Amino acid sequence: MPHTAEIKEIIDESPDTRTFRLRFRDAETNDRFKFKAGQFAEYSAFGDGESTFCIASSPTQRNFIECSFKVYGKVTQSLRRLNKGDTIGIRGPYGNWFPLEDFKEKNLLFIAGGIGIAPVRCVFNNVLDLRDEFKNITIIYGARSVSDLIYKQEIKEWKVRKDIKTVITVDPGGETAIWDGEVGFVPAVLEKIAPESENTVVILCGPPVMIKFTLPVLTGLGFKDEEIYTTLENRMKCGLGKCGRCNIGNVYVCKDGPVFTYAEIKKLPREF
Amino acid sequence: MDEKIISRVDLMKICKDVIDKGNTLLTPGAADYYVVKDISDIILDTSALPSKISHKSYVFPRTEPVLYYKRSKNDVQLIDINIDSKKIVILGAKPCDANSINIMKHLFNWDHSDEFFNKRANNFMVIGLMCSHFDEYCFCTSVRSSPVSEKGSDLFLIPVDINNYALKIITEKGKEFISPYSGYLKPGDEKNSKLITENVRQPEAAFDSSEVYEWLGENFESPKWEGVGNLCLSCAQCAFVCSVCHCFDITDEDYSYTEGRRMKNWDGCQFGNFTLHASGHNPRDIQSKRYRQRVNHKFRYYVDRFGEILCTGCGRCSRGCPVSIDIKEIVSNCNDNQKEFLK
Amino acid sequence: MNELIKHAKELLEKGEVAAVIGYRQVSEKRTKPVIITEPEETRALVFNEYCLNNLAVYLTKARIKLLGRKNNKSFKLAITAKPCDVHSIVALIQENQIDRDKIHIISFNCHGVVKDFGFDFNGDNLSSKCITCETHKPLYYDKLLGEVKETPQARDSALERIKEIERMPHNERFEFFRSEFDKCIKCYACRAVCPLCYCQRCITDKTIPCWIETSSHQRGNFAWNVIRAFHLSGRCTGCGECDRVCPADIPLSLINRKMTIEANNLFSFVSGRSLETPTLVGSFNEKDNDELFM
Ligand SMILES: Cc1cc2nc3c(=O)[nH]c(=O)nc-3n(C[C@H](O)[C@H](O)[C@H](O)COP(=O)(O)OP(=O)(O)OC[C@H]3O[C@@H](n4cnc5c(N)ncnc54)[C@H](O)[C@@H]3O)c2cc1C
Ligand code: SF4
Ligand code: SF4
Ligand code: SF4
Ligand code: SF4
Ligand code: SF4
Ligand code: FES
Repeated sequence: MPHTAEIKEIIDESPDTRTFRLRFRDAETNDRFKFKAGQFAEYSAFGDGESTFCIASSPTQRNFIECSFKVYGKVTQSLRRLNKGDTIGIRGPYGNWFPLEDFKEKNLLFIAGGIGIAPVRCVFNNVLDLRDEFKNITIIYGARSVSDLIYKQEIKEWKVRKDIKTVITVDPGGETAIWDGEVGFVPAVLEKIAPESENTVVILCGPPVMIKFTLPVLTGLGFKDEEIYTTLENRMKCGLGKCGRCNIGNVYVCKDGPVFTYAEIKKLPREF
Repeated sequence: MDEKIISRVDLMKICKDVIDKGNTLLTPGAADYYVVKDISDIILDTSALPSKISHKSYVFPRTEPVLYYKRSKNDVQLIDINIDSKKIVILGAKPCDANSINIMKHLFNWDHSDEFFNKRANNFMVIGLMCSHFDEYCFCTSVRSSPVSEKGSDLFLIPVDINNYALKIITEKGKEFISPYSGYLKPGDEKNSKLITENVRQPEAAFDSSEVYEWLGENFESPKWEGVGNLCLSCAQCAFVCSVCHCFDITDEDYSYTEGRRMKNWDGCQFGNFTLHASGHNPRDIQSKRYRQRVNHKFRYYVDRFGEILCTGCGRCSRGCPVSIDIKEIVSNCNDNQKEFLK
Repeated sequence: MNELIKHAKELLEKGEVAAVIGYRQVSEKRTKPVIITEPEETRALVFNEYCLNNLAVYLTKARIKLLGRKNNKSFKLAITAKPCDVHSIVALIQENQIDRDKIHIISFNCHGVVKDFGFDFNGDNLSSKCITCETHKPLYYDKLLGEVKETPQARDSALERIKEIERMPHNERFEFFRSEFDKCIKCYACRAVCPLCYCQRCITDKTIPCWIETSSHQRGNFAWNVIRAFHLSGRCTGCGECDRVCPADIPLSLINRKMTIEANNLFSFVSGRSLETPTLVGSFNEKDNDELFM
């Protein structure tokens, strides 16, 4: 049974991506709803169904949660038709999370591509709220073009901060005349800036192709398989380990994931 | 275990009482398990093959609402479902079918408990019937069961002569069910029924499930999948008739401008769009990968997760497959070095 | 039989075809499809009264078409087809799904098949399509095999049933279809096995808007069964495969046959019978009888 939530705010991030700021209709749920960075939820547009998105706001942020979604099909189109003040349904939080406790006293490298920035943003903001507990922090975020970049306001804030290194890149051809960031695909940019791999944890989210080409680069730079964390996004329906479509081998991505290390992924059958 | 003798006439009286009390009485027919309206419809044939469709829809309906919603201007009101929980007595379940609810229970209860399934499953009363006939598709004996297995039955019937059955009381639930009818029961003779069950012809074991388990672990990329993938037509006959396949889809259905319901519908891993992402990416983009999922899920993944084989050996998926793909043949031949799963 | 094996083997050995789609025997009264690419494997091929599958369904499958492409060259595919299966092949050619030049049709003089696997071959168990079959010799083929034999005599009970349903009062007829469609479990085996249900994206898979609810309740089932029947009217060649495979035993061919009778009465057209006449759906004519739409 989903909880109902009110859309408090709508932010148009890019032509096809929107962020909702949501508040549960029921005050008690608002207090009780706790989650960890990396978890996801099922959001419903009543009449058109449910869709899976990660929770994009930081768990340290109380009183509201945010989700960002790219418009693709039935549910996401229907969600886009909703206005401020309308009601959506939320079930969750589901799945596992990034083990931040294990990241303490380490360098962190965040790599995000496309809508993959949504889960990364959640961990990233969570980490920034606890900045002192971690060492160097680098974020590489790539999008198809400048207009496809989301969280533009926040990126500006990241960029001015001295205690983090922010690298934003767009695919070749996606730059504008005044673009001052990098141009190039994420794996190439990663290779270029070649971050320190010693004592570093990688948080990597993005479309399957990007992940496929980024992993060998990371290995080449000396990152350890156990220190590379990523999320798998299989098609999901129930989020409860029942409906049977999210599995990879004997693993239910909705329960045992979505967060996996590269070492864990290597053990799974190649079917994602 | 307690064993009694009951005459067919008295058994029918119990059946009539079950119906008269407003409970559902199910029994296998040729196409499907059906609800008995009149006890003269009851066949109780030990030599019948499993019906084309299993009884699973009575615990896991092919379509059911999980919630109702009502939209008003800005708000949505959600209305809980009252799960219809009539008592269901299933009479004459084949031994293979009798165990299916037990097998599915693991899935519907790990981590999160599915109240829809549980409420129905708890209201099920399974009266199994010994099986005396098998065909080329049956393979219960290869998946830890047999034509005389009492697994999953609350009560189990063994015909001792034309007019009488030995009635084994297997579970507490069975005991409770039968106690009001103790007047119909006569003392039984375990030696006698044992003699009967020992003489039942059983299908020869076609494969060793632990060998299949091993093979699947090592042959995810076997060229054999390509062969069967080319033949399989990617329907879901096999999953939908199966008594233990449990995949579903969730979708919303409006029935007026403001009202609708969220439905839970059967789905199957052989459909091409089962795992299709919105972006167009599909982890199981070709049929061979989907068929591989089917066999792996049944004989490996489910064993890994829950220690049981997700298959009862009833053979109905093979019997009904439009192109006669035989799951028993496939797993039995996994170890030979033929390119395809040919005999 | 030996002739079939000899012919198929030759085709593969000479490299004239890339694969042979045929039948193999799995038990005394059952055969199943097999796709053969190696000459030695042709020894499995059979043709008899138990060759029920309409193998034309494989001709539109992407993976099978792929078999016909090797080293950047395209090869023919050989298919063993009963004369009635040839109708499906013709319909597919007419609908531009396959190329006549790319298909090598091995057909037979046919005296009928059984209604389902496991039955003895005789008049009582004759498949209903064979009772009214007008083409025991195929209309098109590249190789004709088998000897001419007498088809057993049988009663056309399907037609009697159609007449009976036609005579029912409206509400009774509706009730009949409702109770039949109620049994549907939406497994889509009927769609999968039909050579003419080749749409890459079937209307049932479309969600925006959602024409056919995926739920297999009354409304969803009615929408599915009726839309399928309409989409096949004037296209169904009457192979009866959907009816044979339906696990719920819904008499699908009664509906399809009725539609075929209507199309024939109105437009004198039966699908898959000629490579020269255009398809019914693709050939609107001013003089067409418009009774159906009134
Ligand atoms: C763990 C996880 C986290 C995700 N996080 C985000 C996010 O933060 N932002 C975002 O934009 N997208 C995210 N996605 C992808 C998102 O779920 C799909 O893009 C979305 O469901 C498409 O729905 P649709 O109804 O518009 O598409 P349709 O094609 O109409 O899909 C219909 C149904 O298919 C399912 N579905 C289709 N594609 C996917 C998919 N890729 N993953 C899961 N279910 C799918 C949906 O449940 C939906 O009910 C995430 C997916 C997963 C599994
Ligand atoms: S195995 Fe048979 S029943 Fe199952 S999807 Fe393939 S063709 Fe359909
Ligand atoms: S997989 Fe086939 S044989 Fe096994 S239980 Fe299911 S229908 Fe029966
Ligand atoms: S075999 Fe396929 S349909 Fe059946 S339970 Fe497993 S994944 Fe689901
Ligand atoms: S319909 Fe005609 S061609 Fe087809 S199987 Fe029957 S007799 Fe043979
Ligand atoms: S084969 Fe029968 S049960 Fe399956 S979808 Fe078609 S009509 Fe429905
Ligand atoms: S989403 Fe249903 S089992 Fe994972």
